[in-house]
Amino acid sequence: MEDIAQVAIDHAMKLGAEFVDLRMESARGTNIVVMDGRTKTLNALTEAGCGLRAFVGGAWGFAATNTLNAFSAKAAAASATKMAKAAQAKAKVKFKIRHAPAVRVREEYACKERPSDVSTEAKLRYVLGQDKMMRDLDPRISSTNTRYDDIEADRIVANSFGTMSRTREIWLISACSAWSSSQGIVQRGHAACGSVGGYELMRGDEAQSIGEKATQMALRLLDSKPPSAGKFTCILDNKMTGLLAHEAFGHACEADGVLAGASVLEGKVGKKVAQREVSLIDDPTIRNTFGYFSIDWEGVKSRKHVLIEDGVLKGYMHNLETSSRMGLPPNGSARAQAYNSPPIIRMSNTYIGPGDWKKEELFEDLKYGLLIQGGQYGYVEPAKGQFMFKCDEAYEIRNGEIGQRFRDASLSGVILDVLNNVDALGNDFVLGDPGYCGKGGQDARTTDGGPHLRVKNVVVGGLT
Amino acid sequence: MVDLSDIAEKTVRHVTKQGASDCDVVVTDSWSISAEIEKGSMKQASHVSDPGVGVRAFVGGCSGFASCAGFDRARIRSAAERALALARSGTPDPDFKGLPAKERPTKAEGLFERRLQDVLPEDAVAMAIELAESAAGDRRIYSVNAGVSVGVGQIALANSNGFSACQKMTAFEVGAEAVAKSGQKMFSGVDVGGSRRFDRKLLSSVGSEAKEHALMGLSQCKVATGDYPVVLDPLAVGFLFEGAIGGGLNAESVQRKRSYMAGKLGQKVGSEELTVLDDPTLRWANGSYSFDGEGIPAKRRTLLDRGTLKSYLHDSYTAGKDSIRSTGNSSRGKSLWTFRRPPAISSSNLVIKRGDASVEEMCRESRNGIYLRLTFDYPNLATGELSGLMMESFRIEKGELGPSIRQSTIGISLLEMYSRIDLVGKDSRDAFGVRAPAMRISSARIGGSR
Repeated sequence: MEDIAQVAIDHAMKLGAEFVDLRMESARGTNIVVMDGRTKTLNALTEAGCGLRAFVGGAWGFAATNTLNAFSAKAAAASATKMAKAAQAKAKVKFKIRHAPAVRVREEYACKERPSDVSTEAKLRYVLGQDKMMRDLDPRISSTNTRYDDIEADRIVANSFGTMSRTREIWLISACSAWSSSQGIVQRGHAACGSVGGYELMRGDEAQSIGEKATQMALRLLDSKPPSAGKFTCILDNKMTGLLAHEAFGHACEADGVLAGASVLEGKVGKKVAQREVSLIDDPTIRNTFGYFSIDWEGVKSRKHVLIEDGVLKGYMHNLETSSRMGLPPNGSARAQAYNSPPIIRMSNTYIGPGDWKKEELFEDLKYGLLIQGGQYGYVEPAKGQFMFKCDEAYEIRNGEIGQRFRDASLSGVILDVLNNVDALGNDFVLGDPGYCGKGGQDARTTDGGPHLRVKNVVVGGLT
Repeated sequence: MVDLSDIAEKTVRHVTKQGASDCDVVVTDSWSISAEIEKGSMKQASHVSDPGVGVRAFVGGCSGFASCAGFDRARIRSAAERALALARSGTPDPDFKGLPAKERPTKAEGLFERRLQDVLPEDAVAMAIELAESAAGDRRIYSVNAGVSVGVGQIALANSNGFSACQKMTAFEVGAEAVAKSGQKMFSGVDVGGSRRFDRKLLSSVGSEAKEHALMGLSQCKVATGDYPVVLDPLAVGFLFEGAIGGGLNAESVQRKRSYMAGKLGQKVGSEELTVLDDPTLRWANGSYSFDGEGIPAKRRTLLDRGTLKSYLHDSYTAGKDSIRSTGNSSRGKSLWTFRRPPAISSSNLVIKRGDASVEEMCRESRNGIYLRLTFDYPNLATGELSGLMMESFRIEKGELGPSIRQSTIGISLLEMYSRIDLVGKDSRDAFGVRAPAMRISSARIGGSR
C-alpha cells in the first residue's frame, strides 16, 4: 500500500500541487443490533479506499476512490489536483502549508483479543445476554435495544513532506437502551461502554453491566417530572461536566472555526475566559479511551492540548493548515471519519481538570439548585456563542439535600460567560463517557469527563 | 458501461441459491462534486466517487447485511456470502413475513436533471461564489462560510420476489453561514436549501436569508421565563417535525411502544389546522423516489388529517407484523442512496398543509411573543416532550419582530404543541426533509435568562 500511496503523491506533485496528503485505508467491522431479544441487524463492514488532498496556493482539492490500486490512486491524484486548481483560481486568500517534519511511524493499538478473531456467535451472545438481562430485571421493562460495533482499520497517512505513517486501529463500543412502562408513562434509560483496544473490553465488568445501568435508569425515571424552566445554580456530574467542556468550549477552540471567523474565541488567546480554578484539556494521548490516537489523520504526532489554564485561554486545536496560517507548530488535531472525507479539526478526550472541593461540599451550602446527571447530547454554534446540552436526569437540591427527580432537562449557556460562572470544582475526576461527535457531516469517536462542578446562572429548559 | 440491474439480479439469484429465503440487493453508482467557501474565499473543491453493492439476506426471518465498494465480482460474492452467514447466525424472527412482491415503480417526475449530471468543478466553484456573494455586501458581515454540493446517483434494486428496477437521482444542496459583528456583539445567521435540480434562486435566497438573520441578531435581548405564543419559522418547523412526526410515526418504535404516538391511530392528536402528508412523489424534492428502499412504488399518504392520526410509516417488516401493506417508507438515504447500510424506516418528504396566514399576521396576532427561527433539538420520542435551546429566536413586541433572544429555551409536550397550532402560514419552503409553512403555537414554556 505504501508504494501506491507514494505513486499517487508523486503524480499530484508532478501535476502542479504544492502539497499533497492522502489517507489510504482498509477496514472491517461488525455491527449487531438486537431489539426485544431478536437480532434486528447483523452487519459486516468492509471498506477500502483512498482519499487524497492536493493544495495549490490557498485552496484544496479533494478526491476519493474506493479502488485500491496504482491506476485509481493516480486518477484520484489527478482529480484532486484539478479540483484544487479550480478552487485556487477563485481563492482570495493565498497562503502556504508550512513544512512539517516527516513522520514515519508504525503503530498498532494495544489489543489482547482481536475482534476479528472472535466469532459472530460469541459477539451475538454478549449482545443477546445484555438485552435479556434488561428484560429479566424488572417486568416494567417494556422494550430493549442493544448495540455492538467493532472496527479494525489499517490506515496509511502519507504526504509530500515525506510522512508515511501506518496505524492499525482497533476500537469497539456497545450500548444498551431500556424502555420502562408503568401506568401509561414510558421512559428510556441508556448506558454505553467503549474504548480503543480489543474484545477483552466486552468481557470486563463495565461492558457486562451496561444493561443493568440502562434498566435502573429507565426505572428511576418512571417517577420523574419535567423540570421547571428558569435560571438555576446547577451541580453537574462528571458526564455533564465533560459535555460542558466539549460543547461549551471545546468546539470554539477549533482553529478552523477561528480562521473561518466563526468563533467567539477569536483574538482571545492570553485572555481570561474562565474562573482561575478552571482548566480545560483535550488529550488524545490517553490510552484505553475512546478518543485515543497517537498519529492524527494528517500524519502529525498527537499531543495533549491545554486549552485553558488558570482561567486563561492558552491556544487552539490545529491542523497543518491552521498552524501554518497562524505561525504555530501543528498539534495533531486533524481527523477524518474515513478515507472518503477530508480531515478536519476534531476533539478527542476533552475534560475540565479537577478542583479541590469534596463532592459533598458542593451541595452543602447550596440553598436551591439542580443536580444534573448523565449526558444525552449537545450542540453549539461558536459564532453565536451559544450552546446547549441535555441531561438524562436531574434532581432538585434544597438546602444541600437532594429531592424531586426530573428528566430531560436541557441546559443552555453563553460560551464567554459559562466558565466565569463556575464557582466550585470537585476533586472527583472521572474521564469516561464514550460517544461520537458530529461536525461537517463526519463523526469522530470522543470521550468527555471532569469533576463534579457547580455553575451559576444556567438557563434550564422545562415544560412548567 | 456497468449494468447495475444485472449485478443486482445476479447477486439475488446467487444468495437465494445458497439458501436465503429472501434477499434484496442494492447497487449504487454515485458521485458528488462540492465547493466550499471559508471567510469569503474559495477554500476547497471535492470530487468523490462512491460505487458499491449492499446485500441483505434472510434466513428464518433473520437478516444479515454486508456491502462492498466497487463492482468487483469476487468482492460482491464475498459480501453475499458474509450477509448469508450473518443471517444464519442470528435469532429466528417469525414476525418477518417476506419482502415486497414485484410491482411496477411509480413514474415519479423530477428525480433527475441532466444539467446537474454535467456540472464541472468550475461550475460548482462559481455556484459557491454566487452563494457567498449573496450572503455578503454589508460592512457588518465579518465572515461568510458557504458550500454547494451536487450529487448524481444511479440506483438498481432487486429482490428475491422478482422485483428489479433502476432509478437515477440528482441532488443540489446549498448552505451558508454569515457572521455579523458590531462592536462587541457577534451573531451568525444560517440557512440551507436543496432540490433535485439546479435552482439558481436558492443561491440568492439562502445567502440573503443567512445575511439578514446575522444582521438581525446583532440587536440582542433577554427574556423572562414564562408562557408565550411562539411563531415557528419554516426552518424550525422542518427540523422539529422531521424528528417529532417522522420519528414518532416510525412503526418500529410504535410497535415496540417506544413512541409517544403508539396506540393513537384514529385519534385526535392535533388541532384542525394540522394536516401532514408523506409524499415521495413531490417533484424535485430531495427525498423523492419512484420506489422505496425495498421496491415499494412511491405513493403520497396522509399521516395527520386535520389533527387526526391516519397512518404510521412502515417498511415490509413492520407492515408484515401488523398484517398490512408497507407504506413504502423503507429508506436507504435521502438525497442520494447508500449501499453501506441496510434500509430503515424514514419519512420521504413530509408536507405540511399550508394555511392562510402570513408571518406578519402571526406576529401581529401574537403581540407579545417569540419567533423561533432555528433549533437543533430532538424531542424525547418516548415521552413526547421537547425541551431545547432556541438557537436563533427573536422577540415579538407589539406585533413586530424585535431583537434576537440570548440564552433561552423552549419546553412543550409535542401533543400540546400540535393541539395549540392555531395559525398556519400560506407560504412554505423545503427544510430538513419537510415542506414546511410557518406556524403559530398559542403558548409554550420559555426559559429565559432575565
